[in-house]
Amino acid sequence: MKRFFSLSFLAVSLIFSGCGKKDSAPAAGSAGASGKKLTIAMLPKSKGNAYFLSAAKGAQKAADALNDTLLFDGPTQTDPAKQNEIVEGWINKGVDVIAVAAEDKAALSTALRKAQSKGIKVVSFDADVMPDARTFFVNQATPQGIGESLMDEAARLAGSEGEFAIITASLTAANQNEWKKSIDERLKMYPKMKLVEFRPCDDDKAKAQSEATTIMSAHPNLKLIMSICSPGVPGAAEAVKQAGKTGKVKVIGLGLPNENKAYVHSGVTDSVILWNTEELGALAVHAADALARGTLKAGDKSFTVGGKTYDIVGDNIMLGKPFIFNKANIDQFDF
Amino acid sequence: MNSDKHGLKKLLFRHETLLLLVLVGEWLFFYFRGTTTNFSGVTVGFGTAGAQIDILRHSCEIGLLALVMTPVILTGGIDLSVGSLMGLSAVVFGKLWRDAGVPIPAAITATLALGALAGGLNATLITALRLPPLIVTLGTFSLFRGLAEALTRGADTFTGFPASFQAIGQNNWFGLPAQLLVFVLVAAAIWLLVHRTTLGRSFRAIGYASEGARYAGLPVGRRLATVYILAGLGASLAGLIFTARLNQAGANTGTGYELFAITAVVLGGTSIFGGSGSVHGTLLGWAAVAVLSDSLPYVDWPREVGGMLTGLLLIVALSAGVLPKFLSAWRARRHSSRSVNPQPTPSP
Repeated sequence: MKRFFSLSFLAVSLIFSGCGKKDSAPAAGSAGASGKKLTIAMLPKSKGNAYFLSAAKGAQKAADALNDTLLFDGPTQTDPAKQNEIVEGWINKGVDVIAVAAEDKAALSTALRKAQSKGIKVVSFDADVMPDARTFFVNQATPQGIGESLMDEAARLAGSEGEFAIITASLTAANQNEWKKSIDERLKMYPKMKLVEFRPCDDDKAKAQSEATTIMSAHPNLKLIMSICSPGVPGAAEAVKQAGKTGKVKVIGLGLPNENKAYVHSGVTDSVILWNTEELGALAVHAADALARGTLKAGDKSFTVGGKTYDIVGDNIMLGKPFIFNKANIDQFDF
Repeated sequence: MNSDKHGLKKLLFRHETLLLLVLVGEWLFFYFRGTTTNFSGVTVGFGTAGAQIDILRHSCEIGLLALVMTPVILTGGIDLSVGSLMGLSAVVFGKLWRDAGVPIPAAITATLALGALAGGLNATLITALRLPPLIVTLGTFSLFRGLAEALTRGADTFTGFPASFQAIGQNNWFGLPAQLLVFVLVAAAIWLLVHRTTLGRSFRAIGYASEGARYAGLPVGRRLATVYILAGLGASLAGLIFTARLNQAGANTGTGYELFAITAVVLGGTSIFGGSGSVHGTLLGWAAVAVLSDSLPYVDWPREVGGMLTGLLLIVALSAGVLPKFLSAWRARRHSSRSVNPQPTPSP
C-alpha cells in the first residue's frame, strides 16, 4: 500500500510541478518594449482550411510588420458553437481587437457584441457578421468586380472577338447568377464577342468536363470557355486537353490555384481568377490594428496601408479588383 | 489493521477523491499559468470571473447530458442518440417559433415533450423488442440527426429569438450564468433520484443483474423506460439551452456531444457495464473535462491538445481505479507462493 501512496503522491506533485512559473512571459496583452503592442485575435471559419491558412500567412506578416501579437485560432472543422466559445475565451484573455470570418452570422454576432461591450474592437473578413457586431467588414470581392475581371480577361485572351461559353454551378445558384449579370453587363463593351452557351455543371468536375466536350463539338469555332464555379475550371481544362485543343480553346475561371496549377503550367488554362487571400488576411490585420489604435474610424472613406489605398464603401473595406493567377505567379500560392 | 485506518484508506482510494485531486490540480495549474495582468493593471485570463462563468456556460449542455446519461449507464445501457436529439430539439423549437408562430413558452413545452417522446421511442425498442441499447440508440442517433437535417435541408438555421429567451443562455442571475440554475436543479433532482430513492436503487440492481432484478419482482421494463425518457428530456433541455446561448438553432447542434457526456460519466467512475457509479462522480468527471477543454488558450496551448489530454485523463483515471485491485491480487499471489500450504485467499 505504501508503494501506491508514494505513486499517487508522485503523480500529484508532477501535476503541480507544471504550475511553477518557468517563464515569466505573460500570456497575452504583453507590453512591448516601446509603445503599445496590440494583441490581435483572428478567427477563421476553420483552422485546417488551406484558404484560411493562406490568409493567416498574410496576417502573420502584417502583424510582424506592425509589431503586434497575432493569435490565430479557430475550430478544426466548421462549428459555429466553437467559434463562439473561442471568441469568449479571447474576451477573458483581454485581447485588443478581434478579426473574424463567420461560419454562422447570428451565432457569432452574439459573442462579438459581448466583446464590443467590453471595449474590444471587431472587424470581419471573408464572411461577414451582423453589421452591429463589428465596425468594418473587409470585403474580398464584389459580384461586379468578379464579373468585370472575368469578362475583361476573357476579352483580352480572345482578342475581343469570337464565341465563348460559360459553365456555371447550377442555373439557380444565387452567387453565380449575380456574377453572370455583371458579366452580361460588361459584355456590352465587347460587341464582337458572343456568348453561345451557358451550362450548369452541378459543382461537379466530371460533369463540367462532359459539358465542355459537348460545347466544343457543338461550336467548332469556340475560342474560350469560362467557368464561374471552381470545379468547372479543371473540368473544362481536362476536356480541352483530351480534345487536343490546347491553345485553340482557352480556359479561364474562378477557382483555387492548387487545383489548377497543373493545367496552368501545361498551358491549357490561361488564368484563374480569385482574390489574393494573403492580402486579404494582411488587410484584415491592418484594419484591426488601425481600428484599435483609433487611426481608422467608422465613416472613413479610404484606408491606406503602406502606400496602397483601399476604398471604403459604407462600412466595407474593399480589397479591390480580383487577383489573376497565371503561369508567372501561381506557384507562390498554396491553397 | 484497525477499522479507522481502513476507513481513511478507503476514502483516499475512492475514485471520486482522486478525481477531485485531479480537478483541483488542473484548476490551480490554469490559475497560476493562465492568469495575468494587462497594461492597465486589470487581471485577465483564467482567473477572472468571466472565464469561470464561460467554462460553466460552454459545458452546461454536456453536463446536462452527462447527468441524464448516468442512470442510463447505471442500468447497463447506453444512449448514443442524445447529441442528435439535441439537434432535432433545437430545429423543432426553431420551426415552431419562427414558422408556426408558436409563443416561446408553448414551444419550449412542446420541445420537451418531443424529447420525452423520443426517449420513449428508445425505451420501447429496448424493452418491448429486447434490442441492445447500443444498437437501438445507434439507430436513433442517425434517425434524429437525419430528421433535423431533413427539416432544415441541412442549411436553414433559426435566429433572432426574443431577448427573454436568449437570457436563459447568456445572462447572469446573481452573478452566475442563468443556465447554471437549471443545471443545479437537474443535478439535485438526478442525485436524489439515484441515491435516495428505491427507484434509483433499482437502476443499479438492473445494471448489476438484469435477470436477477426481474426475478426479484422489479418491473425492469418500466424502470428502463424511465431512464431513457429522462435522457430524452435532458437532451431536449440541453438543445434549448444551447439555442438560447448562441441565439441560433441548426441541424448540427450537439454533434458529438453524446461522446463527451459518456466520457464524463465513465471518468466519474460509473461502470460502463452498469451496476455501480454515482452522480457526484459524474459531476466531478464533467468538471475535470470542462476545465480542460475550455482553458488551454489561457496558457497559450493549442486547444487541439484538449482532446488528447482528456483521453489521457480517462485512461489514467480508469487505470488508477483498477490499480488497488491489481496490487492486492499481486500481493496475494506472492503471499500464497511463499506459504507451503496455501490458504484460501480472502477476496479483496
